Amino acid sequence: MAESPQPPTIHEGASGPHAPTSTAEDRKAAAALSSLDAPDDDSAAGKKDVDPKALGEAMKNLSVTENSKAGPEKAGPEKKNKTIRIEPADVTLLVSQLDISKAKATELLRSVDGDTVKAMTAFITATI
Amino acid sequence: MPSDPMQPLSSKENSLFRQVVKCYEDKHYKKGLKAADQILRAHPNHGDTQAMKALILNSTGKGDEAFTLCKEALKNNMKSHITWHVYGLLYRSVKNYEEAIKAYKFALRLEPEQANILRDLALLQIQMRDYKGYLDSRTKMLSQRPALRQNWTGVAIAHHLLNNYQAAEKILTTYEETLKQKPSKSDIEHSEAGLYKISIIAESGDKERALKELERILKDTLDRASALEMRAELLLELGRKEDAEKAYRTLLDRNNERRAYYEGLEKALGLDRSDPSAHSQLMELYNSYAAKSQRVDAARRIPLDFLTGDDFRQATDRYLQQMFKKGVPSTFNNIKALYADPAKKAVIEELVLGYASGTSMNGSANGETNGTSDRFEESVLYFLAQHYNYHLSRDLQKAMEYIDKLIERNPKSVDYNQTKARIFKHYGNITKAAETINHARELDLKDRYINTKCAKYQLRNNENDVALNTMSKFTRNEATGGPLGDLHDMQCLWYLTEDGEAYLRQRNLGLALKRFTAVADIFDIWQEDQFDFHAFSLRKGQIRAYIDMIRWEDHLREHPFFTRAALSAINIYLQLADNQGLSNGTEAAASQQDATERKKAQKKAKKELEKLAKQEAEKKAKKANPPKDDGETKKEDTDPNGLKLLETKEPLEAALRFLTPLLEFSPKNIDAQNIGFEVHFRRKKYLLALKCLNAARAIDPENPKLHEQAIRFRQAMNETKDLPDTVAKAIEETFDIVPADADLKAYNSEWRQKHADSPAHQQSALNVQYLLDNRTKGECEADLKKLLESASITMEQAANGLEYLDEWKSDATARNEYRSAASQKWPQATVFLQ
Repeated sequence: MAESPQPPTIHEGASGPHAPTSTAEDRKAAAALSSLDAPDDDSAAGKKDVDPKALGEAMKNLSVTENSKAGPEKAGPEKKNKTIRIEPADVTLLVSQLDISKAKATELLRSVDGDTVKAMTAFITATI
Repeated sequence: MPSDPMQPLSSKENSLFRQVVKCYEDKHYKKGLKAADQILRAHPNHGDTQAMKALILNSTGKGDEAFTLCKEALKNNMKSHITWHVYGLLYRSVKNYEEAIKAYKFALRLEPEQANILRDLALLQIQMRDYKGYLDSRTKMLSQRPALRQNWTGVAIAHHLLNNYQAAEKILTTYEETLKQKPSKSDIEHSEAGLYKISIIAESGDKERALKELERILKDTLDRASALEMRAELLLELGRKEDAEKAYRTLLDRNNERRAYYEGLEKALGLDRSDPSAHSQLMELYNSYAAKSQRVDAARRIPLDFLTGDDFRQATDRYLQQMFKKGVPSTFNNIKALYADPAKKAVIEELVLGYASGTSMNGSANGETNGTSDRFEESVLYFLAQHYNYHLSRDLQKAMEYIDKLIERNPKSVDYNQTKARIFKHYGNITKAAETINHARELDLKDRYINTKCAKYQLRNNENDVALNTMSKFTRNEATGGPLGDLHDMQCLWYLTEDGEAYLRQRNLGLALKRFTAVADIFDIWQEDQFDFHAFSLRKGQIRAYIDMIRWEDHLREHPFFTRAALSAINIYLQLADNQGLSNGTEAAASQQDATERKKAQKKAKKELEKLAKQEAEKKAKKANPPKDDGETKKEDTDPNGLKLLETKEPLEAALRFLTPLLEFSPKNIDAQNIGFEVHFRRKKYLLALKCLNAARAIDPENPKLHEQAIRFRQAMNETKDLPDTVAKAIEETFDIVPADADLKAYNSEWRQKHADSPAHQQSALNVQYLLDNRTKGECEADLKKLLESASITMEQAANGLEYLDEWKSDATARNEYRSAASQKWPQATVFLQ
């Protein structure tokens, strides 16, 4: 990387990780520091003239929609997980032969109803 | 209990602890350590202090010590979010993001409201593409500070990346609705958010609404060009042709060289280039734009792409004459794409040759001043030199004649001398090419382009030191590591790659591998660099660009530069795996000495001189610009010659660093599949090797390397007995390139017959013949040499023959005979010199 010297006040990209702090006072200091880090934050919010009432309302609605949406979404993929017996030995074999993660091997086996040979052939003939 | 880790500190120690934290933030590490030690003297098991100390140690380069200390801190205080947060930070600093995420999550469980931890966690999640986790964290951040626009945008991004378009849009709209009044027109964040929302709607497929929304805000958007482009595209997609036409005409008024606008306009007008009956209308269109400006090139050049026959001849004639009169040096480069069509190539050649014979006879006959006709004539000759140097119309002898004529007229021209070097390169005369281009460089020492080209030619000629010296004319030589260090800092990929390839040709595997590793490291850095933008882009509100970047990063390593470096690096690892002796460096160095000793002696004197010059230049640079002591001393390179890289115990596993991304991102590259087979075959991962074979067959079933590898694979399968049953079964079910009961020799000779006309296939067949029965070596060598007589064999293919001789461990006589036969055919080529 180019190491052109910069004045310390200039802040480029992400800040370095902040020190974790514990006491209330420290937290205040940390908050002050992070506001330094994002100079536009508060002033911009002020400039944009957010209506606090509307904002409160929006946040309330947000949590409602979030919850209602989270419901069916989460249920979706779980339904697919039929109960198929996956032998740990098969998973180990696939992991070692195909250089894939355990999770991926399990998923692969599940998709072919636990048939090891099918899992392997599916993996090595996958279209490019 | 004085050493209770949970015991609250006294107020004095508490302020000391705060001091530690502040020292860390301000990077006063020494002072911070002192204060931490002071606390630890009174409370040796104080977890938080230990953790902070670990963090400081880590920042001063003592990573191992830091990890040990932090683990102790965790043991002492499992319930502190500080210790867990530090643990996460340590993992982050060694780029183990998965563990870091886990640690952050622990910290958050203990202290759910800690904004710093939450922010760090969100950064890691987006970096790791854990979009669900990111959505979670972002939603929490929003509920903590809903007044901040970027927090809303962050949630929208998370939804967008999860392809949850409606939710993303709704978040953005919800925020907009909370605004009491419209933000000022100069508010770039607001303007960008608007366009971002439209891009989401368009991506969701609802073009109608995207257009409506766009027209609502068009007036106020600051990035007019993108807004207008979006609008034109949407109109076209919606089939509103008349409006689309107007939109594209507006865009062309803004920028009349942009090809995409012309294409859009053609579509809006319903004109199809491939339909000859539309050509007259198309020409009318392009002529109208050409008439608007003397200078516009696109409107004149584009018609050459679709016109044919006499129309093409006339249009090209007009175009070329105009360019030659102006003396545009890039004319050939602008035209050569047309050579893909042999008929067009012939017309162009005929036209330009016509100008050449015409101009020499009646140079100023048509009343032009001598200056213009001279320029015209030179342009024509230069075009012809390049024409005969181009691979689709190559006649190097003619090219040389033309360029010599030009150099006679204008010996000081950098362009002409560079082209001459290029002709030498195509002759295979790398040495002369390097000399010639160096001459071109000396004609204009301030021209960085020719300087760079010159360094590249010198590397092709295996002159690493000379090339570096050339590069040093334009590098920051006071950087750590000198010019080479600067080239690394500047991430100069082409140089590192060419330098590595030059070392590879000289059998200096250590340095070669080091350069290719440097290339891979730079790609890693580019991936790391995203970190800067996860926060920055949100803060600046440049969301569309940010999304583009995220998507681009996901395919970063499909870049050809990565592919090229990866192929070479893997090649080295394969050599290491096949020949363990290479890895200790001595043998490599020894064998290398014989071959290059002579050359080295010659170069040494030259080098010595150059070194002196370089040192002097450096001294000068130092005087002019004293090195700044910015406190950031770089780590010393502990392995300057790459010998440690060669010492790897498991070269094949090390090769995976290159191979895995190569196969993932460039699966359609046949070389990638070929080399993937070589690695997995040696690793005895036969299923993966077979996967490469199958993929290679899908790309090109007649690929010669594939033939070699398939036979080797069949042979190995016939001999291997200890495979697990399921593996053997899977292989038999999928491997049908070479039948299980095939007589391999017969199979090979049949294949050889099938490809009797192709030298590359013949070479592969010979290699297989040798592999199946190495007693036929003499016969193979003779046949390989005979292939040189084939009319269709290229210089590159002939050079590949040398590699087969290497593989067969052929003796010096066989090699020399091959080389001298090749030298007769390509007398200029340096690769065949003994």
